[in-house]
Amino acid sequence: MKRLIRLRVNGEPVETAVPPNRTLLEMLRDDLGLTGAKEGCGEGDCGACTVLLDGLPVSSCLVLALQAEGREVVTVEGLAREGQLDPLQQAFVEEGGVQCGFCTPGMLLAATSLLAANPDPSEQEIREAIAGNLCRCTGYQKIVESIRRAARRGP
Amino acid sequence: MRLPMFEFAEAESAAEACRMLAGAGPEAALLAGGTDLLVRMKRGLLCPQRVVSIRRLRAGRPAVARDGARLTIDPLATMTEIAADPLLREACANVAAGARAVGSPLIRNLATLGGNLASARPCADTAPPLLTWDASVRLESTGGERSVPLHDFFTGPGASALRLDELLVAVEIELPAGSSGSAFFKLGQRAALEIAIASAAARITLDRPGGIVLEARIALGSVAPVPLRARAAESLLAGREPREELLAAAAAAAAREARPIDDLRASAAYRREMVAVLVRRALAAALASAGGGQ
Repeated sequence: MKRLIRLRVNGEPVETAVPPNRTLLEMLRDDLGLTGAKEGCGEGDCGACTVLLDGLPVSSCLVLALQAEGREVVTVEGLAREGQLDPLQQAFVEEGGVQCGFCTPGMLLAATSLLAANPDPSEQEIREAIAGNLCRCTGYQKIVESIRRAARRGP
Repeated sequence: MRLPMFEFAEAESAAEACRMLAGAGPEAALLAGGTDLLVRMKRGLLCPQRVVSIRRLRAGRPAVARDGARLTIDPLATMTEIAADPLLREACANVAAGARAVGSPLIRNLATLGGNLASARPCADTAPPLLTWDASVRLESTGGERSVPLHDFFTGPGASALRLDELLVAVEIELPAGSSGSAFFKLGQRAALEIAIASAAARITLDRPGGIVLEARIALGSVAPVPLRARAAESLLAGREPREELLAAAAAAAAREARPIDDLRASAAYRREMVAVLVRRALAAALASAGGGQ
């Protein structure tokens, strides 16, 4: 029943056997131990499970692990380099963009994709980029400011 | 939320996907973006024995190809690709706008145009815009291909002319002669991640910039069992000078043609009033981009 797939996760080649009904989110969390991506709603409404798939943010609860075969996945664990937070993560810390933290991995990845395509986004562009990522703590303002701070500072 | 177990197959060509569907009936389900299918499977609404992924059929092709007046849109293009496509933004701006109104960026990076149409929801955001361009869909099965005008495609909430053994292989638009403009407006409780309370798309084709209306199209979302053409409203505009009073009369006619229901999002009465507002805005914006009005 299980099938062997190969993909890259956070830059590293990964080979793992998955049953067809395993989502990419379940594979990342349960098989690879990468628990940064969270399961919130499980239906693509909350964005807590956001990962980058070939550079684009997607809800990993709505992707089959088998569909990630041969593709490039980045999770929040892939942002820090050698124990150092990346500039976007650092900006979230400095601006208070993190409260309970459940939405944070998804916010970081949605914003990473935005800044890769648009290094100097307007506030409106930032808000649109994180429109699929729900936060129940911050009221979003601090998250938007965190992303602006990272954009001002550059990569 | 767990998915039930199923067998997974990946089609490498449309012909292969059709062979996998042939004779399988509801036991096989097509997987494109997955944003509808997988949710329905998690909720236990669908339990196919076999899931046939068609994502690889997209490989390498542009989202939209133009040959003279004909645009051919790949139904496996994602909403993100449709929203950003330069040909559509130039020629059929309301189709790009409809795609941009779907879900959130996370959903638009997965969801496909074909999925939005094949799901046949009255609220499908790409349906009203495509209806205003008299789009048709090409359906393929092992028995051959057929073309169905989109206005005959939708038959009820979640129901369409697409047979269980058919694959939607192309969405086609024949661009009209003259000077055309289009627009799409969606009303929701919030600006993103929202199912429309009501939506309206319009396309106006003038004989020349500043001229009379050769052809007008108005289509409505979330206010009938299917994405709905407002034909009586359209006919008020054809052959006429597009003055503001006329646009208002057409918007009022469209509101009368809507067949909304009360549900958790809004009442039927509110929806009908909003149709008039949305159609009026859509007509004004379409006219402006067609080079008409003041």
